[in-house]
Amino acid sequence: MRLLPSRWLILACAALGASCRAPDAAVSGGILVVSVGADAETLFPPLAVGTQSRAVTELLYDKLAEIGPSLNTIGDVGFAPKLARSWSWSADSLTITFRLDPRARWHDGRPVIAADVQYAFRVWTDSTVGAVQRQALAGVDSISAPDSLTARVHFRERTPEQFYALVYTLMPLPRHRLAGIADSALQNSSELRAPVGSGPFRFVSWTPRARLELASNPAYYLGRPGLDGVVFVVAAQGATVAARLLAGEADFLEQLSPPDFAQLPSDGRVRAVSYGGFDYAFVQFNLQEGGPLARPHAIFSDAALRRALTMATNRQALVRNIFDTLARPAIGPFSRTQWTADSMLSGIRHDPSGATRLLDSLGWRDDDRNGLRERAGKPLRFSLLVPASSRTRQAAAVLLQAQWREVGVLVDIEQADFNAFLDRAQRGAFDALIGGVRTSPSPRGVRELWGSPGPGRGRQNWGKWSNAVFDAQVDSALAASNITAVRAHFRAAYQAAIDDAPAIWLYEPRLFAGVHRRVKVAPLRPDAWWSGISTWSIDPAQRLPRDRRVPRAP
Amino acid sequence: MFGRLLSRLTHAAAVCAVVAVAVFALLQSAPGDPFALALEGADVPAAVRAEWRARYGLDQPPAAQFVRWAGALARGDFGYSTSRRQPVAAVVSEAFPRTLVLVGTALVLGFAAGVWIALVQTRHHRRWPDRAFSMVTLAGVALPEFLLALLAMTWLGARWGLFPVAGVGSLGDAAAWPLWLRAVDFLWHLALPASVLSLAVASRVARHQRAALLSVMREDYVRTARAKGLGEWQVIRRHALPNAIGPVIALLGLALPSLVGGAVLIERVFGWPGMGLTLFEALLARDYPLVLAAVLLATVFAVVARTLTEFIADVVAPRRPQAT
Amino acid sequence: MAASTWHRLRHDGAARGAAFVLGAVAAAALLAPWLSPFDPTAQPDPVALRLLSPSWAHLFGTDPFSRDVLSRVLHGARVSLGVAAGAMLLSVTLGAALGALAAVVGGWVDAAIGGLVDVLIAMPRLLVVIALVATFGTLSPWWLVALIGGSGWLTTARIVRAEFRDHLQREYVLAARALGATRWRIVWRHLLPAVAPQVAVAAALAFAAVIPLEAALSFVGLGIQPPLPSWGNILLDGTDYLTTAWWLVLAPVAAVSGTVGAALVLADRLRAAIADEEREA
Repeated sequence: MRLLPSRWLILACAALGASCRAPDAAVSGGILVVSVGADAETLFPPLAVGTQSRAVTELLYDKLAEIGPSLNTIGDVGFAPKLARSWSWSADSLTITFRLDPRARWHDGRPVIAADVQYAFRVWTDSTVGAVQRQALAGVDSISAPDSLTARVHFRERTPEQFYALVYTLMPLPRHRLAGIADSALQNSSELRAPVGSGPFRFVSWTPRARLELASNPAYYLGRPGLDGVVFVVAAQGATVAARLLAGEADFLEQLSPPDFAQLPSDGRVRAVSYGGFDYAFVQFNLQEGGPLARPHAIFSDAALRRALTMATNRQALVRNIFDTLARPAIGPFSRTQWTADSMLSGIRHDPSGATRLLDSLGWRDDDRNGLRERAGKPLRFSLLVPASSRTRQAAAVLLQAQWREVGVLVDIEQADFNAFLDRAQRGAFDALIGGVRTSPSPRGVRELWGSPGPGRGRQNWGKWSNAVFDAQVDSALAASNITAVRAHFRAAYQAAIDDAPAIWLYEPRLFAGVHRRVKVAPLRPDAWWSGISTWSIDPAQRLPRDRRVPRAP
Repeated sequence: MFGRLLSRLTHAAAVCAVVAVAVFALLQSAPGDPFALALEGADVPAAVRAEWRARYGLDQPPAAQFVRWAGALARGDFGYSTSRRQPVAAVVSEAFPRTLVLVGTALVLGFAAGVWIALVQTRHHRRWPDRAFSMVTLAGVALPEFLLALLAMTWLGARWGLFPVAGVGSLGDAAAWPLWLRAVDFLWHLALPASVLSLAVASRVARHQRAALLSVMREDYVRTARAKGLGEWQVIRRHALPNAIGPVIALLGLALPSLVGGAVLIERVFGWPGMGLTLFEALLARDYPLVLAAVLLATVFAVVARTLTEFIADVVAPRRPQAT
Repeated sequence: MAASTWHRLRHDGAARGAAFVLGAVAAAALLAPWLSPFDPTAQPDPVALRLLSPSWAHLFGTDPFSRDVLSRVLHGARVSLGVAAGAMLLSVTLGAALGALAAVVGGWVDAAIGGLVDVLIAMPRLLVVIALVATFGTLSPWWLVALIGGSGWLTTARIVRAEFRDHLQREYVLAARALGATRWRIVWRHLLPAVAPQVAVAAALAFAAVIPLEAALSFVGLGIQPPLPSWGNILLDGTDYLTTAWWLVLAPVAAVSGTVGAALVLADRLRAAIADEEREA
């Protein structure tokens, strides 16, 4: 028989009698325990980068409006009211007036007012704060407050995604608590280690690298959440994160890894819930040699060679090996979950003999019959940089190495810890690397990742790929006002990227959350699994000792 | 004897100073940037980046940075952790006790178990208890610690549910439990990581203690004791052990740094956020002040422990120890 | 004196067993290309042939990339033993040289080396190596040898220094000096052979310490780079499947613990032989 770990404590508890009463059988209640592999880096919304920081800050703070389940980013279709009870557009679309919900309160009881929206905008756009998504608010000129419950947002220009860009990014911040702190000191402020938010959950405690506890906000203006609280428990080792869920110590795991799947118990205690995903991974080629001269790369500056390597890559086998059916080969510089995605684009097919012919014709031949191609005495050999923190990308590297060896290309895998990986990527000190991104619902991020390095674009284009057609099409797409035109321009841009092969688009993992059967979850949104957590509940018949609420310290 | 202790301690201080300089120099040459992770993808103008670096003094030449850091340290200020966004002292004061408990428990348990195993082995020298324990202690040293930790975590923890998988305490209303129940809960969470770590300690101690005991057993005074008609068990415990335990205690002091190193992987597997894990993560995040403080603390800890164990070994066995 | 220590060792059953195990592992490493049933890096079918359970074709199954685990462990022995032997040689040579220097020259040299030992011994070796790997980036096996060897000489240095200082007081050394032998000649002709058994103990212990260190480095993702198999990275490939394909770790664990165990037994028996020798002397 399998003893639940908590069984022992129930016995210990029974000895105590009175202090351990059975949980009350109301429908609401219960504490959700989420097993995570990385702790939140910060609880300050403008600096929240990682998924965990975003999850916690978005449970603590509400936005003006929430993107709908369709993840539409054009206009305001599908957006649900949050702190803003309603909004109206001016005739020229350059002004949107938000009416705040008069019931909305900060966790300390003060009402959420228009000044909080203004203050948040100032913080987000102040460069000394270092907000990650500062660029997303570049289209906003100013925010005015005609009265305490009305925030009027003035835009510099009309764009199809102006509403999304504002609302998805900005979270009103409690001005009455933070305004006394200099903007540049905010990121380290102790006030933000015990944040006062406006969301469905309020902060209880944070033991960094161990656990973070939130309790439901009984005064939440949209109704008290079904759960009494959410606790995130942290473990750095992937196996431990999964083991917590499988052992019943945790109720939820954001992403099951492929080895976790084989371990799911057959009795249905834990189920996998699919929810799409915005991730894609790729092999990025460096088109420039490292160093100050910025000369073209000896191997990868040639588009035909990049295409040949793509042809030599069996992505189907790679995906099946690492993910079985839990991922799909990627198509181009986008995720299938984005609305601009187009699965009808013509990609470069797996064709080893075609790759061989192409390499031969490019002059990379194996004349000395050592199994390795050379040109002008130099072997076709390069290094592939992989972060040591990602087991899946390491696996991809091992598989690619073997696949390319078949066509006479020698690859040296270089694993580096993530900081060194990032450092080398940013400095351009690599031949090729395996990268991975989590895109947002908007297709706009493609400009930073794949646009030619220059003002307003290509900040994260580590391979220094530069393509005029791609840039022009992306610019047109982002400026176009009707959806058909946007789609058409993105389609052309994506096709240009696929044809010029600045990267091999490897795989798009499909996210599967591991959920204990005692938890009833709402549909999980691909960009934010936690978005519907207010409506989750825990089966009263399956309550555990840990579901008892933490008594609040007076 | 206390004079010697004092001179050891001044020596220890010098050691710590050298370690600080060495670590500082090493970190300076490591690639990466303390803000790289926080700023990945962030649109922060170069001027602001420079201002941030200046705020932490990272714009100054390494020597000046070191002087600044050492000066602050002299005033009791360990600096500010860039990755945790907290004063280093706050991070360390949370993590250090956890490692102290983990490593301390492993040391005490492992030492007691190791000595006991060695006594049994000596009592039954070359018979099956001796041989069986020899196999166990050999395995305890030869098997990689992280594998034992993973096996214990996946099978004893997750599969059979005998122990908690990870963490330092139960959830829910555990905070409101009476002290004794919380203590039990804490020990129950400590059980697996401490056992895995103490298995390694016990194996090493037992192997050395057995060798030391066996060599002492041949000494004249042991033969005399035996001739006086004392039972074998009494001979071993009363006469052989006091003379053979000194070097083993001293060895324990020397083994402490490797124990802390091993604790890194154990802490990682069991979600036990102690100093080892903190140091490891700080290293990967290029969090210079935190790394420096953690390494310095580990060094002080190691040096003090070593001095103490040598001192204890002297007190317990004033006789010059045999080469073992 | 030293010669008869070796003689004792040769007639010790446990020592012979341990030497046999080490010899067998070394032979397996040398003969790996002929013993291995498969190419250790070949991925015959990463989809259909991954994670096979043990069979006659694959005695220890196949890994997540469809590679034969037995062939990988045999080839991994080359890397793991090579790194361990190289690091051991380096640390023992370095340790013996520094220990001898400290004992023979004395004075500030002794103090400096003693201080260095005190500093290095206080730092967790695994963390030092991780920090260095992070500093220098990805490592080739040669660098790994240099790093691990360069951080493992402390024990040898301490032993050699202590033994040398002990021997330098002895009559035969004083007699040799009286006869006009130079210090370094005495070191070479008399002292080094005399401490050889002790150094051998330290060498065996150094060897036994390197193999788990390499495994631990692989465990945090900073060890030997693929496709080169090492026991550490083979073990790592297996740890993802401890509950579902537990047989993956059998062969690498047996290799690691068998080798480490044999080296430890050898060190033990050697130490016992030295102790016996001293008692009878």
